Amino acid sequence: MTAAIEVRDLHFRYAEGTRALGGVSFAIAEGECVGLIGPNGAGKSTLLLHLNGLLPESWDGPGAVLVGGEPVDARSLFEVRRRVGLLFQDANDQLFCPTVLEDVAFGPRQLGLSEPEVRERVTAALAQAGISGFEGRAPHHLSAGEKRRVCLAGVLACGPSILVLDEPTSSLDPRGRRELKELLRRIPITKLIATHDLDLVVELCSRVVVLDGGVVVAEGPTVEVLSDEALMLRHSLERPHALRHLHPH
Amino acid sequence: MRRDFLDPYSRLDSPIHRLGAGTKLGTALGLVVLVLVVPTSRPVALAAVAAALVAIAVCSRVPWRFLAGRVLMLEPLVLGVAGLALLQPGGWRLFLFLLARSTLCLGTMVLLSNTTPFEDLLRVMKAAHMPALLVTTLSLLYRYLFVLVDEAGRMKRARASRTFTRRRAWAWHTGASVVSQLFIRSSERAERIHAAMCARGWR
Amino acid sequence: MHIPDGFLDARTAVATGALAAAGLGIALRQARVHLPPRRVPLLGVTAAFVFAAQMVNFPVAGGTSGHLIGAVLAAALLGPSAAVVVVSSVLIVQCLMFADGGLSALGANILNMGVLGTVGGWAIYHGVSRVVRGLFGRVLAATFAAWCSTVLASIACAGELAVSGTVAWRLVLPAMAGVHALIGLGEGVITALVLAGIARTRPELLEPDAAIEPRTSVAAVAAYGAVIAMTLALFASPLASRWPDGLDRTAEALGFGEKAAPPVLNAPIPGYEMPGIGGDALATALAGGTGTLVVLALSWLVARVLVPRARVDDPPGAVGEP
Repeated sequence: MTAAIEVRDLHFRYAEGTRALGGVSFAIAEGECVGLIGPNGAGKSTLLLHLNGLLPESWDGPGAVLVGGEPVDARSLFEVRRRVGLLFQDANDQLFCPTVLEDVAFGPRQLGLSEPEVRERVTAALAQAGISGFEGRAPHHLSAGEKRRVCLAGVLACGPSILVLDEPTSSLDPRGRRELKELLRRIPITKLIATHDLDLVVELCSRVVVLDGGVVVAEGPTVEVLSDEALMLRHSLERPHALRHLHPH
Repeated sequence: MRRDFLDPYSRLDSPIHRLGAGTKLGTALGLVVLVLVVPTSRPVALAAVAAALVAIAVCSRVPWRFLAGRVLMLEPLVLGVAGLALLQPGGWRLFLFLLARSTLCLGTMVLLSNTTPFEDLLRVMKAAHMPALLVTTLSLLYRYLFVLVDEAGRMKRARASRTFTRRRAWAWHTGASVVSQLFIRSSERAERIHAAMCARGWR
Repeated sequence: MHIPDGFLDARTAVATGALAAAGLGIALRQARVHLPPRRVPLLGVTAAFVFAAQMVNFPVAGGTSGHLIGAVLAAALLGPSAAVVVVSSVLIVQCLMFADGGLSALGANILNMGVLGTVGGWAIYHGVSRVVRGLFGRVLAATFAAWCSTVLASIACAGELAVSGTVAWRLVLPAMAGVHALIGLGEGVITALVLAGIARTRPELLEPDAAIEPRTSVAAVAAYGAVIAMTLALFASPLASRWPDGLDRTAEALGFGEKAAPPVLNAPIPGYEMPGIGGDALATALAGGTGTLVVLALSWLVARVLVPRARVDDPPGAVGEP
């Protein structure tokens, strides 16, 4: 079976010379929910941008990113972007339209759908994100949690088969966090979640990939990896509270 | 964070707010032109426009104190230019006339901007086939205006909390460094926005 | 310098509107040609930046404060055409969202600040920074260009008010130009401080090829030149006073209210003699010339303070590094 996403020996260096990724390999199976954790500057966000073909400089280099078995390159670019929905870390970057309606409709309109179909998708996506009736609102009148949901609706409206999320719970209050978690749980597609919120990982992800210094330093079932106190501390992480009472081995 | 500080009332619900943005823009333009074509010899005609504006203001349910405040805030500009008329012989009549005329137009525009969300005006512009690049720029300007004003405010406060001098030179230095950091952050943000647009199929 | 509604007559409003549309049209065309898709959002975000930057206050004296206008700053960072789009967008939003600047005067405001101040300022910036190289040259050029841009826009503004018959040219020119010669000094210093600040953290943003329009085509220069020349000819030259006007008649109407209304659209002005080309004009030109030279010297000083001599010949990339 082809993996939903496969990353093979991916290297990446920013133009100013910083090495961000130094040979990353991992795969995510269809329907899986995988956590991507690691300290700040580990290369998580850079890796996620690759999954959407947003760093074309690396196409010529060694390594590859495959989505549904297809390598990401100039030819497959738009198909990849349709299949992989990327939720950015800063909601303000992602909400670039003056109203919620236009923002959520942005993706579907790019797909060349008719206006009634676009409206249908918007309504469905808003309902899925739990913010029905927000069409006319302006982004600057929304709370952080609502902005995050609009971003999610904007991604869902494109009908992705894989959801890639960059710090989905950052800047949310505990209630917003809880609600978003429930929302994500109900979305049945393949998910990759990059986050520092290890409790979220414990609750949603069956497997984690630990990234540090641009390489995968550990990979395995969530409970097993996150309970490894020494590994966690070595990579500026810690054992989440939810696992404190568990005794591995 | 004060999210509403720039256009607090444009999203009220009133008969005026419910009118189409195109209608309102057209009416505003009509009123402004009307005020401008009233000859100096017929100042009474201006009273009719004033009455119409008051009626619209009442229907719009925007607090009159707020509207008056906005008009007064912009009035110094009008006074500055109209004041020059006072320097001419017999200029006081011209001064009063200019003042009345400009204040009425100002009232019209304040009413328009506080009963019409800017995104509706953007839609009118799009429908009127204004150049796409201009509409895109205006829409991003409107969207990020709030974000960047907030960002500038946070940077200013962060600096103020570590400023222990009243020296003017320091204030200039601080202000300029806020502005330059703001530009750097803006250009980085523009890149992230581009990535976000691409991620949703923009080409 | 935002002209409110009510100060321009229909003739002037239409003429400035047409010139502004032409200028903005050229800019949009140029920007479309040169703008890579990657940088489309940059225009809108920079426009929001200019708007936010205008809200940062710089204390002057006695509790008053000024703020950046940003035309030359935008032009130095993005190139002329993108800057015209940016500054014009700011003016449009200020007019429609905040009633700052009149609807009937929108064309004039875009023409003065968005086209004349921006393209004119950029031309000066470009010219000076070609003669004096390096970061020092760019800061010097921006300081001087920011002053020129502010004064230039104010002169056009004065001309429009005079042609409209709102105030006499001989009153409005010294008032506007005088005030804006001072405001322009502030604009120059702020622009210099900001550019130097950007150069300290991200010097590559100031590189000429960071601008959207690294080379302006001859056709574009000619088109901008035509718009600017027409603006100056109509509103900023003694010609401005020669425009046939019904002002005298209006003045009569003002004096003798009972008389039949004169043709509409004219604000009155007493029958004043408009500026001569004789001694007065010569004195004005001399004063203007001297002032400009003084400002150029001041700009040199500002740039010298912000960019110490030791760094002048460094490659720009080295600035700000330990």
